[in-house]
Amino acid sequence: MKTDALIAALAADTTPRVAPGARLARSLPVAFVVSVLLLLVFWQVRPDLAEVLTSVPVYKTLVPAAMALAALWLARGMARPEARVGAEASVVGVLGLGLLGALAYGLATNSPAEIAELLDTRDFENCLISVPVLAALPLAGALWAMKAGAPRHPVLAGAVAGLLAGGIGAAVYSLHCPHDPLMYFLSAYGGAMLVVVALGAVIGGRVLRW
Amino acid sequence: MPPMDEPSWESLMRAANRGDQRSYARLLGAVTPVVRGIVRARGGTLGPEACEDVVQEVLLTIHLKRQSWREDAPLRPWLYAVTRHKVVDAFRARGHRVEIPVEDVAEILPAPPGEDPFEARDMARVIGRLEPRAAEIVRAIGIDGESAAEAGARLGMSEGAVRVALHRAFKSLARLRERMIE
Repeated sequence: MKTDALIAALAADTTPRVAPGARLARSLPVAFVVSVLLLLVFWQVRPDLAEVLTSVPVYKTLVPAAMALAALWLARGMARPEARVGAEASVVGVLGLGLLGALAYGLATNSPAEIAELLDTRDFENCLISVPVLAALPLAGALWAMKAGAPRHPVLAGAVAGLLAGGIGAAVYSLHCPHDPLMYFLSAYGGAMLVVVALGAVIGGRVLRW
Repeated sequence: MPPMDEPSWESLMRAANRGDQRSYARLLGAVTPVVRGIVRARGGTLGPEACEDVVQEVLLTIHLKRQSWREDAPLRPWLYAVTRHKVVDAFRARGHRVEIPVEDVAEILPAPPGEDPFEARDMARVIGRLEPRAAEIVRAIGIDGESAAEAGARLGMSEGAVRVALHRAFKSLARLRERMIE
């Protein structure tokens, strides 16, 4: 087929296309609401939620939510093949470094025995499974949106979609989770979010290629 | 730089996004020599037919990924990024490694205009793998120059159905190409 013929055929296909940003705006609110509903039905919120939301333990909700917002901003940029995403990536990086700093602080101020005791609860495994489950729909939505884009690095883009979804999943799960110590949060929430990041990277490497 | 009375690529693409086929054809026509120049500069040793295959692959990608261009951004950086990504990918799939430094892309001269003597083979082969009706629609509109309405009248389909089929055909083409070449 000659190139002119291909151009003629392509030009006849004027089906409107939805931009990746618009797909994010469409899918994520729905995914978020469904995740919250799932939590309400199958996990229930912690009984002291009203108190918690106005005191220190609210960090368990705010930190993952901040991570999700930063990842959302980065994902929007990465969906464009020509975009430079230095600013977006550094916000995610600063948040990540902050968590690493908190981890170092936690390891320095807690003995291994104390940490082991914190994690010696069924809720720990529960968290590692629940967050990815609650993140599944947001992950699907984020990857679907990124697929409309043209990310130069599919694996990285998938990982960022995973971070976005993991942040949402963790923020939602925090409304249920009764454990507030820093080391519990870093181990359980951090671990669970990394699981979703890894999932996103693996799936992204397959579905975001173009 | 295009002459002053030429509409910018950005305005052509914006018009295309609103369903203006003529602007879109014009844009693709203007973009093709630029893409061809980049492909030949990088993969000239493959021979002109194989280069034209890659040019067509890039055009198909531009088409399927055009929504990733933001309407308030300049079009050229987007176009170069898509072309660069796809050219590297296409040559890799054919067993050739090419490196294209980002800065270089913009400096490659377009291929001389009015030069499309090559019947690229891959696209015809992949179109042959589409389901017959989809292949017929692509050929009718591309090669025979029918409009969607004319093709629809001949095939007993509505114009809208032809457009939907055409759109799906391009998505399948991209998938089939990937599978056939790798």
